[in-house]
Amino acid sequence: MRIFGDCLRADIVTRIQQEGSGSTMRHLSILLLPLFLLLLAFPVSGGRYNDDFDDGEDLADFDDNDFAEFEDMSDDAVPEAGTAPPPARGSPSLRPDEDEDENEATVELEDGQDGFDDSDAQDQDIYSKYDQEEFEGIGDMEKTGHPMKDPLIIHTVPAHLQNSWESYYMEILMVTGLLAYIMNYIIGKNKNSRLAQSWFNSHRELLESNFALVGDDGTSKDAVSTGKLNQENEHIYNLWCSGRVCCEGMLIQLKFLKRQDLLNVLARMMRPTCDQVQIKVTLNDEDMDTFVFAVGTKKAMGRLQKELQDLSEFCGDKPKSGAKFGLPDSLAILTEMGEVTDGVMDNKMVHYITNHADKIESIHFSDQFSGPKVMQEEGQPLKLPETKKTLLFTFNVPGMGNTSPKDMDALLPLMNMVIYSIDKVKKLRLNREGKMKADRNRARVEENFLKQTHAQRQEAAQTRREEKKRAEKERIMNEEDPERQRRLEEAAQRREQKKIEKKQMKMKQIKVKAM
Amino acid sequence: MSSNNMADPRRQNKILRYKPPTTETNPTLEDPTPDYMNLLGMIFSMCGLMLKLKWCAWIAVYCSFISFANSRSSEDTKQMMSSFMLSISAVVMSYLQNPQPMSPPW
Repeated sequence: MRIFGDCLRADIVTRIQQEGSGSTMRHLSILLLPLFLLLLAFPVSGGRYNDDFDDGEDLADFDDNDFAEFEDMSDDAVPEAGTAPPPARGSPSLRPDEDEDENEATVELEDGQDGFDDSDAQDQDIYSKYDQEEFEGIGDMEKTGHPMKDPLIIHTVPAHLQNSWESYYMEILMVTGLLAYIMNYIIGKNKNSRLAQSWFNSHRELLESNFALVGDDGTSKDAVSTGKLNQENEHIYNLWCSGRVCCEGMLIQLKFLKRQDLLNVLARMMRPTCDQVQIKVTLNDEDMDTFVFAVGTKKAMGRLQKELQDLSEFCGDKPKSGAKFGLPDSLAILTEMGEVTDGVMDNKMVHYITNHADKIESIHFSDQFSGPKVMQEEGQPLKLPETKKTLLFTFNVPGMGNTSPKDMDALLPLMNMVIYSIDKVKKLRLNREGKMKADRNRARVEENFLKQTHAQRQEAAQTRREEKKRAEKERIMNEEDPERQRRLEEAAQRREQKKIEKKQMKMKQIKVKAM
Repeated sequence: MSSNNMADPRRQNKILRYKPPTTETNPTLEDPTPDYMNLLGMIFSMCGLMLKLKWCAWIAVYCSFISFANSRSSEDTKQMMSSFMLSISAVVMSYLQNPQPMSPPW
């Protein structure tokens, strides 16, 4: 059909050309124009459905430009490096003998390649072949570029196109790591929670018999015992007890290891630490006499002496051994004066400490407790920090990390010791000498502090004075009325004069005194 | 345990309410881990998104998990969720843009 159409076209064209001008010619051409257009449309539309034609064998011979691409690719396509065989729509022309299946084209693939080829390369092929047909001279030049058969390079399929998920092993590793982290989080959280609960269960009776309020989170309207721990973190639990003679209140912090964090678990495998129970008893002013005392492991004492404000100021000496009282060698004592140690270390206390020395990290009694040393930007704080009469206890849970809930019962005697200490401190009073020494110590510390900050306080006072002067000057300048301005200026000048005179008088007095 | 006097030491009238300790007075006692991890997570997820680095995005996911595990209960869950979502989105975007599997550095 196509051939017929084209033949017709060719005939018409030649006829038109031969007959030249003339009205008949013109009429004929007008009549034939729509027919011509119609016939033209046919091959164009038919050309798209390449699969539909039956006479595939003739195509190889047909010399039209539309089919040139298929014709020439039979020569050059196969040895070309990396190019896949033409897609399905082009293959029938390559293998005309295999065109038994009418519409479907068989595609023979080379090894290692899937059916999808580089369409860009194929386009280039088409165009180069097209050029060869149109421009004969260039065709020869091009052909010299292609004669040698490039070796077949079989590219590996990119990993993301491979259908195996083994290539994603890194991702699988990552996800497995995340799952392991989540599992560890859940297990660690549960373990910590169980430990806290077992501690509370074993201590509940003792606490409830000693304190009116056991467990308070500070948010409820009435002061009613909640009877449970506050969970601050997945590894820190708080308990506030209050309502007892001799003390304001007691804050117990269960500081467990971070079992919920896998990184921490791995770090602890290299450097084992243990769970801690920290108890802080705050006292009223009348509940405690003025002294500072601490006992604990040597390492803890060294560290606390450096860190804490009160221990560094009042207990200047190095930690002493407690052998005099029968304490084991692992423990050391920091004290303000010997009398205090004698007072605190009575038989029962010594008994408690020696029996549970492995669980005691530090015990610290102080009337000047203000927390760790604070370093501010100005160098020193301008005011003495607030102090509070406090008893601090830090206990290590036995087990060194591998604690089970049963180990919490071992801490019960230590809680007894805490209660005993509260009552004892209330009764402990220094004798007159001791009191005098203590007062002198405190005065000394305050003086030191004031001296150190003297320069700073002077500076602060200076800046304040300058500020005042400047403010006054500004006021004078802003004064609209020149009269008032003048008067204010005069007043300021008089004040200045007076100050200078006063200073001179002082200097004179000092000179006289010195003489 | 019991002391010699049988009097009940509890005093109802001496009850003091619990006041959570202020953190301005002792900033050193606070654990900075969750804040650092949060920040790291955000930085890594931004790197992963902008520079299309897959390993950055995965590290960001880990950082946000660690930050969540170490966080205090008083902390805002919205912050945690936002950093978590950001890191997940970084991972997803890196894979959408480039579905190739991650290559190990060795």
